[in-house]
This record gives sequence, C-alpha cells and structure tokens, in this order.
Amino acid sequence: MAGRPEIVEQRDWTGIAIKAFSPVVSVILAVLISSLIIWAFGKDPVAAFSALIRGSFGSMNYIGETFLSAVPLMFTGLAVAYGFRSGLFNIGAEGQLFMGGLAGAYLGVVLGGMSVFIALPAIIIAGALAGAAWAFIPAVLKARVGAHEVITTMMFGYIARYIVSWLVTGPLKAPGPIPQTDLIGAGAVLPRIVQVFPALQLGRAHMGLLIAVGCAALMWFILKYTTTGYESRAVGFNPLAAENGGISIASTTVKALCISGALAGLAGVVEVLGVQGRIFDTFSSGFGFTGIAVALLAKNNPIAVIPAAILFGALSAGSSLMQLEANVPIKVVSIIQGLIIFFVATEPFVSKWIARRRKEVTARAQ
Amino acid sequence: MKKNVRTFLVALMVFAMVAVVVAGCAPAPTTTSTPTTAKPKLKTAMVTDVGGLGDKSFNDLSYEGLKRAQKDFGVEIKVLESKEQADYERNLTNLANAGYSPIFAVGFLMTDAVSKVSTTFPKTQFGGIDEFFDKAPANAAGLVFKEQEASYLAGVLAGLAVKDTTIDPKIKNNNTIGFVGGLDVPVIERFRAGFVQGVKSVNPDAKVVAVYAGSFNDQAKGKELGLSLINQGASIIFPVAGATGLGTIQAAKEKGALIIGVDQDQFLSVPDAKDIMLTSVVKRVDEAVYQTIKNELDGKFAGGTNTSFGLKEGGVALAPYHNFDSKIPQSIKDKVDAAKKAIIDGKVTVKDSLK
Repeated sequence: MAGRPEIVEQRDWTGIAIKAFSPVVSVILAVLISSLIIWAFGKDPVAAFSALIRGSFGSMNYIGETFLSAVPLMFTGLAVAYGFRSGLFNIGAEGQLFMGGLAGAYLGVVLGGMSVFIALPAIIIAGALAGAAWAFIPAVLKARVGAHEVITTMMFGYIARYIVSWLVTGPLKAPGPIPQTDLIGAGAVLPRIVQVFPALQLGRAHMGLLIAVGCAALMWFILKYTTTGYESRAVGFNPLAAENGGISIASTTVKALCISGALAGLAGVVEVLGVQGRIFDTFSSGFGFTGIAVALLAKNNPIAVIPAAILFGALSAGSSLMQLEANVPIKVVSIIQGLIIFFVATEPFVSKWIARRRKEVTARAQ
Repeated sequence: MKKNVRTFLVALMVFAMVAVVVAGCAPAPTTTSTPTTAKPKLKTAMVTDVGGLGDKSFNDLSYEGLKRAQKDFGVEIKVLESKEQADYERNLTNLANAGYSPIFAVGFLMTDAVSKVSTTFPKTQFGGIDEFFDKAPANAAGLVFKEQEASYLAGVLAGLAVKDTTIDPKIKNNNTIGFVGGLDVPVIERFRAGFVQGVKSVNPDAKVVAVYAGSFNDQAKGKELGLSLINQGASIIFPVAGATGLGTIQAAKEKGALIIGVDQDQFLSVPDAKDIMLTSVVKRVDEAVYQTIKNELDGKFAGGTNTSFGLKEGGVALAPYHNFDSKIPQSIKDKVDAAKKAIIDGKVTVKDSLK
C-alpha cells in the first residue's frame, strides 16, 4: 500500500488505523484460537491466560522477567528488520548471535578484571563487530557473485554454532564436567536495572534493555535521516531504480547486512554479559529465528520492534506460571506464537478485503 | 479477490470444525486421585531442561520417578518445562514460591540456576539430576550416577561373550571389543573406565578399542566409527554417545556386530536393533528421584552433598538380556551376577577413570 501515495494524500485514516491495528487483531485472534485449543484439551483457557498475564506483568519482578526474555528478541528483531528494509532476508541472525556471544564470553574472561567502564563498552562493541564480521562474508558473496543471502547466512549460522560447540568442549572449556566456558569476570557483568536505578525493582532484568531501546531509536534515526538509511530503503524498495539513481547496490547490501549482523551480535554478547555469564551449546533458544517473527509483527518498524519483542518476551516469561497454575503445557506458547505469525502473514490479504468492501460501500453511497 | 475471500472463509470454517472434533475427542481432565495420608501432603516438582518432556531420556525418566512417588506416597507433583535458558531460574523460583519441595532440576546445565535459587529459598529442598556441586548449599543435593559400576558388568559380559561364538555367529572370535564415546568428558570416561575394567577382569588379553565422535547428535559419524570398529574386528560395540550411538547401532546391524545399549533399555527403545542388543547399561534416573522423595518424607533428605547412585542404590543397572537370554550360557550369567554382588558388597571397587 505504501506504493500508492494517493492514499496518504487523501489522509485515509481508517486505512492507516487498519494497518496499525492489524498486529493487535492478529494477537487477539491468536489468543482466541489458542483458547479453543486449550479448552479442547480439557484445560481452562481463562485460568491459563490469567496466569500467563500475571506471570508476565503481574508484579515488578514478573515484568523484569518479561524484559529479560524480550531483550535478545529486540536485538534480533531489529537485525532482521534492518535486513528486510534493505531487501535482505537475514535468516542467519542466530549464527551472528552465537559469534557475538562467543566474543562476549571470551573477552568477558580476558578483560573481566578491568574496570566496568572500560571492559563493558569494549566487550559490547566487540560483540557487535563479531556479529557484523560474521555477516560480512555472506554480504560480500551476495554483492559480488549474487549468492543468495538466505542460503549463505543460514549456512554460516550452522558454522557458527558448531564452532562454538567445538570451543566449549575443547579449547575454551572451563574445568569441570560441563561443556561451557569459564564465568566472565566482574568487570564484564552487565548490571541489573535495579543496581543502577534502585527504585526499579525489576528483578533479573538488566541494562541490555536500555541498549536495545537505544539501538531501536538509532536504527529509526538512521533509516529516516541518514544517507545510509535512505540508500538501504531505496535498494530494499526497488534495487534497479536505486541503481539508476546512482546508489551502489553492492556497497549498500554489504553495509546493510553488516549492520544487521552487528545487531544480532549484540543480542549474543548482551545475553552472555547480562544473563548467562558464559557461553555453551544451547545458550540461545533460537532467538535469531524468533527475531524473524518479531520483525514481521513489527512490520520492520524499529520502534514497533520494542512492543513486539516485549509481547514475545511476555509469552516466554508468563508460560512458567501458566504451566504451574493452569497445567497448560509450554507447547501452547509455541502454538500462540505460531498463530500470531500466521495472522500477521495473512493480514495484507484481510486489509485488502476490507479496503475493497469500503470501496463498494462508497460506490453504492454515491 | 472474491474467490480468495471465500477460500479464506472456508478454510476458517474447516479449522473451526477440526477444532470442535478435536475437542470432542479430547480426554477428560485428568483427575488425580491420590491415597489419603495423615501428614500434610508433600508437594514435589521438577523442571526440565530445554529438551523438555518426550526426550526419552533424563526428563522423561525423572517424570517417571515423580509419577511413581505420586502413586506410592500420594504426593502432589508438578512439571514445568523450560523453553529457554532464562526459564531455569524462573521455573525454579516460581515453584519455590508456590511451596514445592523438593524441586528437581534435570540436567547439568541447571547447576548454576540451582545454586542461585537454593540460596534465595533456604527452606526449599533442591535435587539436581546429573548435577555435581563443588560447594552444595545445605538445601541442595547433587544426584549423580556411578555409571562405571553397571558398565563394569557390561564389560564382564562382553569380555566373556567375545570368546564364545556359540552365542551368535556375529562374534568373530578375535577378541576385539569397540567403545564409541560422544565426547571425551568425565561422564563418558566413567562408562569407558568401568567397561574396560570389567572386560579385563575376565579376559585380560581382550582389545578394547575406544573412539570418540566429538558429538552426541551426529548419527552419520556414529555409523562411520561403527563401521571402522567392525573393520578392525570388533564383534561387540558399546556406544555411549546419545543419538550418535544410533548410527553405530545402524552400522552394527548392517555389518554384523552386537551392541550394548546405554542409558535406557535400548532393546525396547530401538526396536529394529532387537536382534543385536546383548543388554543395556541403564541409568535409573527415576529411581534417584523416587528415593530422594522417599528420603524427604522420612526426614532424611541429604542436602549439602552430592549423592552417587550406584548398583547398590539401584541407580544404575544392567537391563535384561531379552532375545539373548536363551543364548548366553549360564556360566557367563553367573559371572556377571557374581561381579554385581562383589561390587554391591564392596569387595570390588570400580575406578571412575583410567586416566
């Protein structure tokens, strides 16, 4: 619809409202159908969702849990969204996340003895660079020989995972029976929000939340007000037209995929410094892939990524109480996530249908 | 357009109908009838690792233990599954807040989480399955297994069987036995060490060739290693490598070798390997959970330490011989039973590492 400027000129507020609220409608539909499924399995959907909501927003502590689970999804959501805005599908965010996490876990041990004010920024930047570097090779392959980024970034994802798997069982393995790296030093630990702002009793939620929100704002600014952002959007919108207009597709692609990789790398390093304190085989539960869903729900708008990630974080955080109080298995949360994506994906089709209806009604009125 | 809308509506209706049918078939809500006891009811729970229920391994086995305790002691049980690492602390905390104790945390990846949460809730008991605490908090118990003891029995069996071609034509009488490890880590070393000691105790000249796959979920690698062991003359192979071992079993099936299963009775869990499964070295995680609950009821919960479950405690065992029961000579069975008795009586101590 963005391709039809006349709609904007006419200030079609209803159309804009439909677009803005369609993710909300998707969520509501997903909840309704999930309720049906919960009911079908002989459990109480009202009790289930009541527990889910209390377990994610019911107290400051639970809100903190929601933020905790939302932070990595904000970063990966932004990463995927930036790719999409530039016409690239970075399906390998998970791999870039592992590389960011690996940089964080390694440097967290090496630089952990230094002051927080030196170690923390240095390690976080290194994590972003590691993610960017991991996206750089697929980016160059795309720009130079046209190798499709869906294949290359995904394969690089596997490579990253197995490199980490090898390192934590071999060269970087901490002493003891468990295949994992050593705990990071005190100087590398990302403080909890409550440690910085004692008034906010947000439990385990850490300062990564602020970094993520900052990145969302930065990305919004870059896309809207900088040449890089303009070029990215132009290439994403219509590469041939962009090239005609003097924009280099190759360099824009490389830049965009590296920015996307850096954001995914941040997800990994922040998760290591803020939550796990080390890296091991299963340290990410597919944050890179859930990030795709977050970006979809947010319609690739960096600011909208924040509430979208919080929604997915709330589903994770609240599922614990949902299992505990309503005996609803955790798989239901995955079903809700799947349904949300399903309805978001079918949204253009529904809104087109509504638009057509409205046109018919208007025609009849005239 | 119009047609699309109709398709969409039809799809929705079909979906709704399916949902209703599913609803009709759904089992009635499970009412847990528990025998009444005089004491206030104990509430016990477990947190799975990200593998979740249905892993046919530690999570499922722990749940079996909980269910048995529910049946025998009338305790209230609860399972919280984890989907991501952050869930570990979250689930443990929510259970502790809800008054559950003891709470079992399944898998070594939860060691950090148990250490933290048990400090926050000093009145709640925690049991860590496969978790070894360097400094266990007073209310946390590491529950680990003496895999070497059951592996020793498997070694005795293999060491004798490898010389007895009457058991099966696949035994090539060249005194070679194979071992496939997932990774060269302490838990796998316990299996290997016990196995080798068992073999050598009855057959000092036997050759035990040990190889490592470097992964617990690489079936192709497991098969490759299995084939190479068979080429080196191994007639009996003991794969301790998770899903990697399934590849080794496949190799044994194709090229003709016998297998000793691991963790659970693989005669039952890998049905197409029934004809080559001599026995299995089983880890009775359910037994560890069950006994810990029993101890808690008797006021004997062993917090602050790591408890090892061996043959004596019923924490590890050798599975039945099944199809080989009629083929294995009684003399061999007697030797295995004698070794078991000797370990239980403390006359034989099995080392947990040969390094």
